Amino acid sequence: MMTRQRRANRVIFLAVAAGFVMLAVAAVAVVWSFMRSQDYSDLVSHTIEVEAAVGDLNRLNERVEVARRGYLLEGDPRFLQTFERTAAEIPLQIERIAGLTADNRSQVERLIRFRNVTQQYLTLVRNSIADKQAGGTGISGASLLDEEDIAVVQELRDISDAMAIEERRLLVVREAAASRSVYLSTVVAIAAAILLVVVAAGTIWATRRTLRALTTTGVQLQDLNDDLESAVAERTSELQRANAEIQRFAYIVSHDLRSPLVNVMGFTAELDAAIKPLNALIDKVEEVAPEIVSDETKYAVREDLPEAIGFIRTSTEKMDRLINAILRLSREGRRVLAPEAVDMNALVSGIVDSLQHRVDELGVTVETEPVPTVVSDRLAVEQIVSNLVENAIKYLKRDRPGRITIRGKKANGRVLVEVEDNGRGIDPKDHERIFDLFRRSGSQDQPGEGIGLAHVRALAYRLGGTITCESVLDQGAIFRLSLPTALAPQQGSNT
Amino acid sequence: MSSHQTVNIVMIEDDEGHARLIEKNIRRAGVNNPIRHFLEGTAALHYLFDAPDGPARNGPALVLLDLNLPDMSGIDILQRMKASDSPLKRTPVVVLTTTDDKVEIERCYDLGANVYITKPVNYETFAQAIRQLGLFLSVIQVPEPEVD
Repeated sequence: MMTRQRRANRVIFLAVAAGFVMLAVAAVAVVWSFMRSQDYSDLVSHTIEVEAAVGDLNRLNERVEVARRGYLLEGDPRFLQTFERTAAEIPLQIERIAGLTADNRSQVERLIRFRNVTQQYLTLVRNSIADKQAGGTGISGASLLDEEDIAVVQELRDISDAMAIEERRLLVVREAAASRSVYLSTVVAIAAAILLVVVAAGTIWATRRTLRALTTTGVQLQDLNDDLESAVAERTSELQRANAEIQRFAYIVSHDLRSPLVNVMGFTAELDAAIKPLNALIDKVEEVAPEIVSDETKYAVREDLPEAIGFIRTSTEKMDRLINAILRLSREGRRVLAPEAVDMNALVSGIVDSLQHRVDELGVTVETEPVPTVVSDRLAVEQIVSNLVENAIKYLKRDRPGRITIRGKKANGRVLVEVEDNGRGIDPKDHERIFDLFRRSGSQDQPGEGIGLAHVRALAYRLGGTITCESVLDQGAIFRLSLPTALAPQQGSNT
Repeated sequence: MSSHQTVNIVMIEDDEGHARLIEKNIRRAGVNNPIRHFLEGTAALHYLFDAPDGPARNGPALVLLDLNLPDMSGIDILQRMKASDSPLKRTPVVVLTTTDDKVEIERCYDLGANVYITKPVNYETFAQAIRQLGLFLSVIQVPEPEVD
């Protein structure tokens, strides 16, 4: 479901992004087509300008012709002035057209021809004028003119007409292009507008969908959270109940076991006390009448009875110690923990001091490295560390000088306390077992009931911690106690 | 000690072995007062309050009380005896039990128990404690019950 949601989100995101990209493209297209239609209208006006310029040139040529004819007929020098002024304008106008049509090769060619023919024509005109000024009739000139002149003027007209036609053609083409461009711009703009609407609608839809999904998720999360909290609370109270039950059970059992034990021990003592008068009797009988007491009787009173009583005694004493251990564990489990900032360095040195006598006796080197302060139950922490150090001293290897190191560090919000020794070590298969009640490992040459580490583990668990062992047989052991940096205050049950 | 001769010791103890050991050690301490032993609470209450030869009607008494009884808790007996309208409210009660729970001890004293002794499991200690209790009993002054 999560991956589907993620895929849908990615599709929406891509769609919206694509919409915006398309929008940007549309905007660029609109600008581009606008600029193109601008170009086309520029071209159209350019064509119109060229056409007008060609018209002007024709007009100038006509005027030259009119001025010459006027002069030839009338001889009025004002015609000559007009002729000269107009003739001077013609090259300028030709140059202007040349400037405007520099991009059109056919027009340029026509213009060159036009220029040459104009030159020829003007020369002819000037000749006829010079002839007239020289006093001639100018008729010969006129007749000459009529022959050559008509051809030249006709050619000029043809050329300028061709130029005008060319420009007209260009105008038609360019106007069509311009209107096509405007049409295209309009289409692109409309498409962009539609796209904008679609993208906007899509974006709004996607956003609303996302928001709705977000709200739903938030509500679900809240529900889940509530559920989880109540589930945790429920489970915690169940666990507390179960724990209290076990504690109560341990307490009752150990108490009820004690009652018969009092009897066993009491009457064993009574038996033991009864042996004394019996012994005295045997002694007396042996002295007075040794024949009435058999060896069997003597053996029973002097050997069997004390031996049996001795075994009963040691067994009941051991049983008593075990029961007491269970009782102590259950009582420890019922004690309300009082978290406080515990100066671990002071605590460790206090423990080492209290064991100094045995440390000196056995020639053990105890090294203490700094241990971070922890907020926890002082008594419980002290019992744990003290147990570990006592064990380290207790299970040293006789053939090498003992070395015990106590160190600590902070890691992942927990405080790690290590007690390392170079003692006899623990077989890895026993690493779990040693923490069980009444279970021990290795050669049983030291007194103990297998209670200490069970106690340590129970305490560590109560403090929200763990205890682990790392060891190889004959190579020493490291016991690691991991405690939360701060133990939350708790309401312990006192039942 | 003539005034003490009449004081009856009422022992309410469900474990016969314990009762026997307690009796033996009290006797060893030189206390010879009559001891009445009850194995369960109902009969003990009946004797304490209603029996013609019981302490409420006849003479001073001292009660040795175990808390773990099969039919009721010793606390109930203590409560009945120490109630303000009880004829036995001044009768000394020695709670002698295996329970060493702090709360239980406080509760017994709150209810008016005179002495609270936890039975030691170690027999030597147990015997010693009971003998000392016997010595204590031999010097203690016990009031007459209020006879209405």
